[in-house]
Amino acid sequence: MSNIGWKDVLTDDMPVDLAHEIDIFEGQMELMGQGKLDEKVFAETRLRRGVYGQRYDNGQRHDGFESRELEFEELDRIKGPDTLWHAPGMQRIKVPGGGLSPEQLDVLAQVADEYSDGILHITTRQDIQLHFVHIEDTPDMMRRLAAVGITTREACGNSVRNVTCCHLSGVCRTEVFDATPYSEAFAQFLLGHDDVQDFGRKFKPAFSGCESEACGLVMMHDIGYLAQVKEVDGKLKRGFKVFVGGGLGTVPHQAKVLSEFTSEEEMLPLVQAVARVFARLGEKRNRNRARIKFLVAKLGIDEFRRLVEEERKTLPHDDRWTAYLDTLPQYEEKPAKPPTFLNGQVRSTEFNQWFETNVYSQRQEGYSVVTVNLPLGDLTSKQTWELADVARKYVGDNVRATVEQNIVLRWVSDSDLPSLYEDLKAIGLGDPGAGTIVDITACPGTDTCKLGIASSRGLAGELRTRLTAKSASLPDAIKDLKIKISGCFNSCGQHHVSDIGFFGNSRRSGNFKMPHFQVVLGGRWRDNAGSYGLAVGAVPSKTVPEVVDIITNRYIDERAKGETFQDWIGRIGKKEARGMIQPFMQLPAFEQEPDYFSDWGDPRVFSLGDIGIGECAGEVVSLFSMEISPAESEAFEAQIALDENDPARADALAYSSMLKAARALVRTQFLDVGDSPDRIVEEFKTRFFDTELFFDQYAKGKFGQYLLDRHQNPNPNPDNDSAHRLIEEALLFIEATHACESKVGGNVLVEI
Amino acid sequence: MITPHRLSVKFYFEELSVDAEAFIPVFHRWIRENVVPNELLLDVADYKHILDGPAILLVGHEADYVIDFTDGKPGLLYVRKQDLGADLSNALDTTLSQALNGVKLTESDVELQGKLKLRTDGATIVLLDRLNYPNAASNGDSVDTAASAEAHLSDSLAALFGSDATVARVDNDAREPLTFELRAPSAPDVDTLLSQLGTGN
Ligand code: HEM
Ligand code: SF4
Repeated sequence: MSNIGWKDVLTDDMPVDLAHEIDIFEGQMELMGQGKLDEKVFAETRLRRGVYGQRYDNGQRHDGFESRELEFEELDRIKGPDTLWHAPGMQRIKVPGGGLSPEQLDVLAQVADEYSDGILHITTRQDIQLHFVHIEDTPDMMRRLAAVGITTREACGNSVRNVTCCHLSGVCRTEVFDATPYSEAFAQFLLGHDDVQDFGRKFKPAFSGCESEACGLVMMHDIGYLAQVKEVDGKLKRGFKVFVGGGLGTVPHQAKVLSEFTSEEEMLPLVQAVARVFARLGEKRNRNRARIKFLVAKLGIDEFRRLVEEERKTLPHDDRWTAYLDTLPQYEEKPAKPPTFLNGQVRSTEFNQWFETNVYSQRQEGYSVVTVNLPLGDLTSKQTWELADVARKYVGDNVRATVEQNIVLRWVSDSDLPSLYEDLKAIGLGDPGAGTIVDITACPGTDTCKLGIASSRGLAGELRTRLTAKSASLPDAIKDLKIKISGCFNSCGQHHVSDIGFFGNSRRSGNFKMPHFQVVLGGRWRDNAGSYGLAVGAVPSKTVPEVVDIITNRYIDERAKGETFQDWIGRIGKKEARGMIQPFMQLPAFEQEPDYFSDWGDPRVFSLGDIGIGECAGEVVSLFSMEISPAESEAFEAQIALDENDPARADALAYSSMLKAARALVRTQFLDVGDSPDRIVEEFKTRFFDTELFFDQYAKGKFGQYLLDRHQNPNPNPDNDSAHRLIEEALLFIEATHACESKVGGNVLVEI
Repeated sequence: MITPHRLSVKFYFEELSVDAEAFIPVFHRWIRENVVPNELLLDVADYKHILDGPAILLVGHEADYVIDFTDGKPGLLYVRKQDLGADLSNALDTTLSQALNGVKLTESDVELQGKLKLRTDGATIVLLDRLNYPNAASNGDSVDTAASAEAHLSDSLAALFGSDATVARVDNDAREPLTFELRAPSAPDVDTLLSQLGTGN
């Protein structure tokens, strides 16, 4: 046992590019530790690796009596504006389309107990989150995940977020075709793509197989794809109806149709053109208006479409646009077992209850999808590897996370259902009620989110317990309702698209603040999040269970035959709806109901003092700053290689760092420079060297010459001396790149 | 031996007549009153909705205190995450003394007093470090590592918990961390253990 780390152990298991990216991130951490990186650049860098801030990381916490300083070591060391280095944070792990294999589950479980608190949380965008993670642990965590093909890249920050896709794609009874391989190709194409690095805000894509079901939720996404088949020249062609500019948040927007039909060949160039338009014209200064929905609203969808079409014409051809089509015929899911039927097996009442809500009969006869109903989207490390074994036994790799914070096992051979149920129950994952009123969605809220106002998870836990206790006696019309809860107006819990939604806010009573939830009624989950609910008023957090009873009872009493909850709310109108909750809006004084002044699961007297600056928007920094930072980190890595007596590697890294810096500079003028070293050097030479823009007042072209020389005359056998010299030169070259960029202007650095 | 990335000790409840939820206000108070002066306590996490798992966590910078129901066996789990010391012995000393201090705090807490009791005649010790302490049975090296760790723990723990104390490797799944079970029929009480560790008051 020595100083061997995960990096050494996993070298052969990690894809080379992922491994290198993680090394770069580790280098950037090191530079940040030495105060050599701008705090905003580092914040955005880590966000783009999924390394998020968490509540109290500004070092302040209200203990119910007063706000107190948390005495972390090295209080002056930070990992972003107002964010202490040593404060634990959240790690978001990207899971495209929610697809997980048992091997991946095994590793996720292991990193959760070694680096987090042993709990995995499934999010409303099919991601996985771990909490209370120390930043020093993140590179090794990423390596272990990379070794099983998982990247955290662009999980947060102003980037293309996880690409979601219906969890039923491929087995669904109503889909047009399986959108999964398309969503995967889309995710791969955009991951780290040059044209998605300069957004003012995050960008969330979603894919759906059909129009009427909910699963894909395309209407509430920045860009959404609905599978379509169209006859072109007598042949059936696959493609998508494309939506743009949807989104929840404070002001929810329904997406607009960008294109009625985009063929599969055009899917990738189209999104590339959208990305360029968004990067160029999207708001950067005011992050509250920076999502693409605001750009679409400002320009109007017709003008936006025109700009995208213009942009499309100017795109340099990329083979990858259509290369993925060749892989589509090979795409198939392999069931682990042959199809069978559920005939004659003894079924317990418990099993039947579970069967009714948690089993979906696939399009393919003899198979079903089983939903593992996770309370609040959580499962423990132990449950995770136990679940991985259950998956191995019944379905192999056919596991997906869902946007309702559950996990599904697909391709369960029907006669296995009773034994699968017993196996799930044995690991504490046999809860019935998936997709019903007890299966409540909640964002992290005040538990861990810096922006949380009220305890969305506390409330969800309480409602789940109460509703489960009486679920047997609930009429079907109530059972099928959806409850979704966000801790604040940002809507991470998707409350706008549930029947009964809540988001946290606060009201004052006397000298005290009282946690509240705004009640939002009648949103539509089906039709891909077809319409948003109506905010009817805010009630104290502690009254919400009673409020739910009042609303659901009245619905049962008054509904016409077959009338949906949405229709009923539409019929009674906002005034009537508000009338239902009015009695709860009279606030008691502290002395009358002290309990009202603390939140669910949190006995501290309620305060807003813990709200910090959220990192949902990421930091807006120039494209150049983001791209020069890996160059610096590589030069740093080169020094380490030299210390380790590896001059060849040091030489290669120093050269590569110069190329990265030159590329960053060239891209301030010419986005399409690509990755070829020859091209980068040529563009650098003609644009910056020959024009003398790169020249230093005294040293003239000396620093630029370093790159040109190394490019032209690589040293076949670098020794320590020559590598050392090249590193020195690389550092000077990078410095000169900075100087040139600020002289020429490049992109304007936007302060937030 | 090398310091593990994390080290945890779980002591089991002999009696527990309160719900997990009762620990929430207690842990919040511990944070407010800074009851563990050599650790920075941060927050309380509520996972009581999970069956047979960690239910309530007092999350700290150096360590977490967990009311844990894994395998249906309620106990107080102490997970040391930072500042474990220079080697396994140091890590074990720190973890044990802080965990026992946690036991003492829990048993003597004003709100919990008389409602629970923890036992010292057994504990589960986990080396959360799959790199340096893999839990594989098949690989020769890691079996050696596990055996050395076991011998190491046995020696240290027998000195503390009595000569009849035994440490046995738990035959768990290879994906789980390396785990040992301490049985100590003649274990002394918490105060004695703490004073032997040099951290009693
Ligand atoms: C202005 C700030 C923010 C906005 C507008 C925002 C918006 C959203 C929206 C609309 C969703 C719903 C999913 C979807 O888009 O499909 C979401 C999901 C989510 N967001 Fe945010 N968000 C913000 C800040 C944050 C912060 C600071 C955190 C915590 C670190 C956070 C954590 C999450 C989580 C965890 C989810 C998934 C919910 C879950 O499954 O637990 N968000 N966000
Ligand atoms: S809705 Fe608010 S409280 Fe919930 S995660 Fe989003 S920002 Fe945080």
